[in-house]
Amino acid sequence: MIEAVKPLAARRLRIAIRVEDAALADELRRLVLDAGHELVDADADIVMQAANAGFAALAEAEPRTLLTPREMEVLGAIGDGLTNKGIARKLGISLHTVKFHVESLFRKLGARTRTEALARAAERRMDV
Amino acid sequence: MTTDLLEQFSSALAERASSVQGAVAAIRLSDARHLSATLWRPDVAIASEQSLPRRDAFDLVLSGGATVKAKLAGRDAGTNIAALRLERSLGPTLKNGEATAGALALAFGADGAGGVRARLGIVNTAGPEWASSAGGRIDRYIVLDLSLARAEEGGPVLDAGGARLGISTFGPRGRVLVIPSATIDRVLPSLLADGRIARGWLGVGLQPVAVPDALQEQAGQPGGAMVMSIAPDGPAAKAGLVAGDIVLSVNGTPAYRLRRIAAALSSIGSTAELRLIRGGAVLSVQATIEARPT
Repeated sequence: MIEAVKPLAARRLRIAIRVEDAALADELRRLVLDAGHELVDADADIVMQAANAGFAALAEAEPRTLLTPREMEVLGAIGDGLTNKGIARKLGISLHTVKFHVESLFRKLGARTRTEALARAAERRMDV
Repeated sequence: MTTDLLEQFSSALAERASSVQGAVAAIRLSDARHLSATLWRPDVAIASEQSLPRRDAFDLVLSGGATVKAKLAGRDAGTNIAALRLERSLGPTLKNGEATAGALALAFGADGAGGVRARLGIVNTAGPEWASSAGGRIDRYIVLDLSLARAEEGGPVLDAGGARLGISTFGPRGRVLVIPSATIDRVLPSLLADGRIARGWLGVGLQPVAVPDALQEQAGQPGGAMVMSIAPDGPAAKAGLVAGDIVLSVNGTPAYRLRRIAAALSSIGSTAELRLIRGGAVLSVQATIEARPT
């Protein structure tokens, strides 16, 4: 059972898993380590930190590729896993308008998929 | 001695690997796993910060298999550099060199049992200074045209003359980058003295956004940065910022220029003037820049 998935910083993800079966827990621990991830806590639970995505440059956006606050809302809803229909319902706008916003933010971020759009937007984010 | 050029080249590479062995160490993480480190000073080893577990002490396996204990002296995510202080001083270290695009590059790592692993490639990119997403300034943008195993990250990268270009690290999508010698030498004194690099901090997560059309004239600029998160009790929280505010500028620097914002926050203890949009109005608040907590 996955208990918590929370981003630690822009690029790090920490996942805690509780496993009742001790043999299965050992096996999972081995798999996690072999995949190059880090076990933060090797005791009762398996807490892994995803292998680092790499030392990256700060992506600076040109003014014309900046997302509007509305596009940010749509992107947030994409991040929540909503479909276009779900986004339309949540934001109280038409499906047509949602598609328009999604196309626009894909273009601005240079993304082809929803996952890529989320990743590109995350590259622009900075904790200061 | 042979006159065959290829054999001479091969012998020279093998000789280089053997002579660099003393400057490479393995950081033991578990029985099966290790990272590489570069002996930078006789008593200091440097590793790639992003892959180093958060521990205070490590066992280093040296050339030949002997182990030495090392304490974490400091780490800086901004420049991706971690410094380990060795329990005793070791041999002499290498001299620094400069990267040139197209020149040969040799990357070395530790095999975990006292031996060395070697990689040969060329310098793919030798670009200018760049800013990392973690807020650090890196003196050169050096990309290598070679592949590296996870365990080899942090080892020395040398030019054909045996001078060190820096240490290896992974960039996005498994690209092999070099943290330049100049950056390590610049950061190391502070890391050893304070354990970290003090960076100015506002305590906000910012995402560049376009200023809504209706407010562009009032704002006087096309973009700003939306406040996505606020550190509790951080400078921004104390100044009353809330999630959803759009920061227009920090001390006059447009907030969507994140690199310049990071650079503008250098003086800890000083006051930063923030212009922002909240609820359709433009207002100004002041925040006191603090040192980024570790």
